[in-house]
Amino acid sequence: MDTLTRLENGKDLLLEWIEETNNPEENRLDVWVSPQNFKAATKALVDAGWGYLMTITGKDKPPVVDEDGNELQSGEIIGLYHFAQEAAVLSICVKVPYENPKLDTICDLIPSATIYEREFMELFGVDLVDTPDRERLVLPDNWPDGVYPLRKDFKQMSEEEKLGKELS
Amino acid sequence: MTNSSGEKFVVPIGPQHPALKEPGQFQFTVDGEIVTGASIRLGFVHRGIEKACESRNYTQDLYLLERVCGICSHVHATAFALGVEKLAGVEAPPRAEAIRVLGGELERIHSHLLWLGVAAHEGGFDTLFMYTWRDREVVMDLLESISGSRVHYSLNVIGGVKYDITDKMADEIRRGMDFLEERTHYYMKVVTTDDTFVGRTRGVGIMTKEHAERLGAVGPTARASGVERDIRFNAPYSAYKEFPINMIMDTTGDLEARFIVRIKELFECYRLIREILDNLPESDLTVKVKRRIPAGEVISRVEAPRGELLYYIQSDGSDMPARVKARTPSLCNWATISDVAIGHKLADMPMLLVGIDPCFSCNDRLVQVNRPNQTDLNWSWDDLRRYGIEYYR
Repeated sequence: MDTLTRLENGKDLLLEWIEETNNPEENRLDVWVSPQNFKAATKALVDAGWGYLMTITGKDKPPVVDEDGNELQSGEIIGLYHFAQEAAVLSICVKVPYENPKLDTICDLIPSATIYEREFMELFGVDLVDTPDRERLVLPDNWPDGVYPLRKDFKQMSEEEKLGKELS
Repeated sequence: MTNSSGEKFVVPIGPQHPALKEPGQFQFTVDGEIVTGASIRLGFVHRGIEKACESRNYTQDLYLLERVCGICSHVHATAFALGVEKLAGVEAPPRAEAIRVLGGELERIHSHLLWLGVAAHEGGFDTLFMYTWRDREVVMDLLESISGSRVHYSLNVIGGVKYDITDKMADEIRRGMDFLEERTHYYMKVVTTDDTFVGRTRGVGIMTKEHAERLGAVGPTARASGVERDIRFNAPYSAYKEFPINMIMDTTGDLEARFIVRIKELFECYRLIREILDNLPESDLTVKVKRRIPAGEVISRVEAPRGELLYYIQSDGSDMPARVKARTPSLCNWATISDVAIGHKLADMPMLLVGIDPCFSCNDRLVQVNRPNQTDLNWSWDDLRRYGIEYYR
């Protein structure tokens, strides 16, 4: 089976939830789904045994603000769930707004996803509902709550935060 | 073992670990000698490299990412360079690609020999450890003669490689491979026939194919359990298209199989290196790549010594990447430890740990699994400090 057939098969599995697709590379297919349908789509791939979850890539899309500080477009967190079957890479893509960054966990479908989910949560500040483990993965124990280092607006810690870190 | 109040015994090991030379903390819940639960705490040397990449240009990132790991440095740089070249729409010249693969395979030899030594040491077989590390010097010297450096070779630039392989070097490498091949036959004999060693590995830590697939294992750890997962084979990149490899598999899934797979891979490395040296294409070493990389995104997958390494690179059209994400192979393999540890003797733990060839610096993160004890025995630095002060008051 060649790579394109694999991608077609993957796409067929997700057909009913697809909002948009694009091909960033010849061996890749990005499938955008809504946060509500995201879990059902993932389940369809897992049930059909299409490839394996390579990782979750988080991305931050900061809010667009005009000169007067009015928010033209609100900020979004994007999650790319990369599945691979041989050379074919299919990513289920989903975005959630800053105000309500909630997504379903997929750990009940793929238990080994827990480390990727924890990384995604602490570095981007998404809330993965019902994920089995919410402990810190890479950040230190005394890292302040609500500071998400891979968001674009994080440049460095403030002096107070640094001071608080040293004192504790 | 349970004391009168019904609490489980937890044996903490690390983070300053006496055997592993890198910081990791392990907590084994034991019932007598038998392990009933395992948890692993990493993250002690997390450096925030993904964020740092966003404020440096592509050339700086290449050198930064090479420093993710001190063992498989070349493969990180290769993955990144291949990704950026794809975004820029250029291809490195064929000779450069062949030299990249050559470097990658030399690095695999050095990594597998290093691992064999550490594994032998954990198994209490220090003579084998001394032998393998002595022989590893041969490949380290070869890498040094190519690049001038033992660990961070910096072979790659974006658009090709920096160093050429001369005929004299090629002869040196061939001689090195002949010597190492002979030694590797000896190692194969030792790990499959030495009674004391086989006693530590055969039938220990068995992971079935279904388990390996479910836990998302990669690399030699997965291949020893019969999972056909090798990026060089599944999705050939760089010069692996011209110089294909044979995927090394085993179906036993025990520790011995992980030894056999890695040692057989060494033979495959020697074969491939000879083939590349005999058929090294003639071409330039680099192509020119503009500083600003066109907007786009790419996933670059390569086979590191420990398994699949993945880079996701997004460009916004400037000279700095908008997002770099690295997923290293050890991260996938940690989950297998806690699964196979249960039911084994505490004394088998070091061997099980090295069985996946864990690399801390390459993926310093945290995993926590299977805690049958109800009380939370994880103390933060604050708790520990407070406890210490209270204790002596």
